[in-house]
Amino acid sequence: MLVLTRKAGESIVIGNDVVITVLEIRGGQIRIGIDAPREVAVHRAEIYRQVMEANRAAVRSDRDSPILRTTAGSLERLRRQAESRRGEPEES
Amino acid sequence: MTDPEPHVIVFDEGIPGFPDVRRFVLTDIVPDGIFQVLQCLDDPAVSLIVAVPWLFFPDYAPELTDLDQAGLELERAEDAVVFCSVTIDPEQQTATMNLLGPFVVNVRTLKGRQIVLTDSDHPLRAPLPLAVV
Repeated sequence: MLVLTRKAGESIVIGNDVVITVLEIRGGQIRIGIDAPREVAVHRAEIYRQVMEANRAAVRSDRDSPILRTTAGSLERLRRQAESRRGEPEES
Repeated sequence: MTDPEPHVIVFDEGIPGFPDVRRFVLTDIVPDGIFQVLQCLDDPAVSLIVAVPWLFFPDYAPELTDLDQAGLELERAEDAVVFCSVTIDPEQQTATMNLLGPFVVNVRTLKGRQIVLTDSDHPLRAPLPLAVV
């Protein structure tokens, strides 16, 4: 990994068209500005990683679960059961 | 024409966690079922259970960036089909839906993307109100 030291207001250029600027350093947080072309996606790493891990977990999911045989009809029945457990819905 | 070939959806960036896969088809699990399988044609091991989020979360409103719309060649909102992956917990027999990373497909061009909603607080594991039926 390339490691560079930067002060607030200083930038790093990546390739021809990505510029990363350190805007502000305060306490334990650093505000970073990113100038990149529209076609470059920028994500917070932890959010992207969460979706990555969720995809892997989804791929491992059990295909045979009875839940997956739910039809539109049975979903509607479940809804009605849940509603009747909650009592009669109030009509205004 | 006989039976039409299933529509092949192309994710030209892959999906997070599986960057090298491109082609998927969507197949029903049971007739009239609410869950489908998004099956990868490039790697048979990659298949995800998906469902339309609005069946469970009618107020769900994911926002696409210009970049996403351009990548999907999406010109009209009505061309977009949205579905979200579902994870089953085998022990609890409960299911959760990933609302943070919805799949969006342009039905006109069959281009697909998984959108990471970076600046949202949509849950990664929203419980589905489903018991074993």
